[in-house]
Amino acid sequence: MASTYGATSSSALPQRTPSCASMSSSPAKSVARTKILLLGQRRSGKTSIKEVLFNDLPPKQTFYLETTMRVDKHAYDTVIPLEIWDCPGNITVETLGAPLAQFSALIFVIDIRDLYKQPISKLVEFIVAAYHDNPSLFVEVFVHKAEKLQEDDKIENFRQIQERVQDDLMERECEQMPYNFHLTSVYDHSLHEAFSKVLHKLIHSLPFLEDLVNVFCANTQSPKAFLFDIASRLYVATDNSPVDSATHNLCCDYLSMLNSLGSLYRAPTSRATRMRIPADESSPGELPRPNETTPTKNRFYPSAAASLHPSTPGTTLTYHLVTPHLALLALVPTAVYEGRRGLLEYNVVFFREGVQEICQVEVEARGGG
Amino acid sequence: MKRKVLLMGASGSGKTSMRSLIFSNNPASLTARLGATIDVEQNHVRFLGDLILNLWDCGGQDAFMDSYLTTQRSTIFQHVGVLIYVFDVETHEMHKDLDYYRDCLDGLRQFSPDAAVFLLVHKMDLVRDRAPAFERKKRELQEQSEKTPVTVFGTSIYDESLYRAWSNIVHTLIPNAAVLSKHLTMFAEACSATEVILFERTTFLVIATSAPPSAEASDPPDAASELDPARYERTSELIKAFKHSCSRVREEFHALEMELPEFTAVLDEMTKNTYVLIIVHDPTIETAALKLNVRMARRKFEELQGLV
Repeated sequence: MASTYGATSSSALPQRTPSCASMSSSPAKSVARTKILLLGQRRSGKTSIKEVLFNDLPPKQTFYLETTMRVDKHAYDTVIPLEIWDCPGNITVETLGAPLAQFSALIFVIDIRDLYKQPISKLVEFIVAAYHDNPSLFVEVFVHKAEKLQEDDKIENFRQIQERVQDDLMERECEQMPYNFHLTSVYDHSLHEAFSKVLHKLIHSLPFLEDLVNVFCANTQSPKAFLFDIASRLYVATDNSPVDSATHNLCCDYLSMLNSLGSLYRAPTSRATRMRIPADESSPGELPRPNETTPTKNRFYPSAAASLHPSTPGTTLTYHLVTPHLALLALVPTAVYEGRRGLLEYNVVFFREGVQEICQVEVEARGGG
Repeated sequence: MKRKVLLMGASGSGKTSMRSLIFSNNPASLTARLGATIDVEQNHVRFLGDLILNLWDCGGQDAFMDSYLTTQRSTIFQHVGVLIYVFDVETHEMHKDLDYYRDCLDGLRQFSPDAAVFLLVHKMDLVRDRAPAFERKKRELQEQSEKTPVTVFGTSIYDESLYRAWSNIVHTLIPNAAVLSKHLTMFAEACSATEVILFERTTFLVIATSAPPSAEASDPPDAASELDPARYERTSELIKAFKHSCSRVREEFHALEMELPEFTAVLDEMTKNTYVLIIVHDPTIETAALKLNVRMARRKFEELQGLV
């Protein structure tokens, strides 16, 4: 159930380890992970956010999650290896057990209905500490559970929380510390969009990835393309045209449909015959190790296309797997997709090689290669 | 051909919610906005070429129920093809529900003795231990139905179970389901497909599927038999959800093709009111070939539906 199309489509490729527990026992432990701190009051929705994004939990099920009692370090591999620290609500700078300097981003979750002093003073505490220990830390505030309020109250509370944080920081003479606010909910795409924006700040190779997407868009007349992380449905990079939420949501839904359909018609015994390359037929059942000296070249990459009507001239939503974790989703004019599909795929090959190269450099730089 | 479908059950049990989900392409999250149904709301749903579902959504408040059973008795229970009776799994008034249900069955026996009866134990998402709770309800309902044969489904608007129930219901109404299935099997052979599934266009309910290829013909253990048994209704649910996403950006979903490591799939328009999904596990088959086959088969399937 939990296995997604992304993870399972890669039987000849490095397998993603599904959980944090097994991750710590794998040899990939030495990889330097980018750490994200997830903080907030009790019951503000930290674990829900982590589970919905990185463990594919249906949003309705978050209701049954237990209270987090101690720090849960969740490893997640995407374009960069991440480690998300899901903290209990009562944690402080002192009891965290790690210096703030270790972290790249701090996400503070506030329940939108919680306008009282407590969460804000706690957030300010952390911002002040970060100001002294790690001024380059990205502080992102998720004003969460937005679905609980009506439109007007939502905007009002969102504004009030921002104002109070600002005022408190003025008092503490800490206003130079940069921070951002996002309005989020697990029940729509706002959480994915907000977390994607946080992720972008942590990817040092982002400009290069964006260049690749830009080139792809220009060559295929695509008005919009996203490089998505398959399992979490966060987008890692996009072209430089502005992101319109409706298009982002559509791509997100498309990816989720493909993930589900992919696992639905895969018989448990049917092997991924296309992913197999002749060389590893000598050692059946044994997976090639992720860090072999020569990266295995694949002959087949999954792809999909959905054609949409009726808007003239018609759009096709394409999907191309790029790495085991990443896929390129693009809106392409149907005329281009149908008339010049070969050229489009030729462009995908170059895009894929570029991204794979960037990822390889990242792996080597982090001591995983 | 017109078939009358009665949708009955206590007030607030979820009749109108499921109707809006299946027939109007609304998402489950919007059902909270629906108001109570007053008296009977009649709908005509064109389902395949010559089959029209005449859907009677009967408001479930006591006053309406009493009038259905007395003054409107003959109007309501005449010429019924299918009765769908919805029970809220968490109801506090099961006794009253059952009283009304038995009275409705009496009415049905009197005016439409041949009608098929489907019972939906609805809002299953509210129960944590679904299987035992459902079995208990099912037994209770079967006892209450006495001699009348009934089919019981556990359903929820938040998962695929609703599509399973409705696909089964609709299947009993389609006059030529067996013929369609036979031709789909031939079509599957022509495509070297593991299986072929035919959906109705607006509801995306499953109309017919190809029969699994004969056991002795397939030397590797046959792939279709080991697939997820809930795959048809899950597909309905997934495509419906994606269609809804498309409509939010004022686009309309048209066709889908996938080349995945384990299988190839094409979802395309078969006739003007059906969609076909072809699943192929043979890696040498190209999607373009499948699409061509759909185009070639289109005329035959239009004929089968009486469209030409």
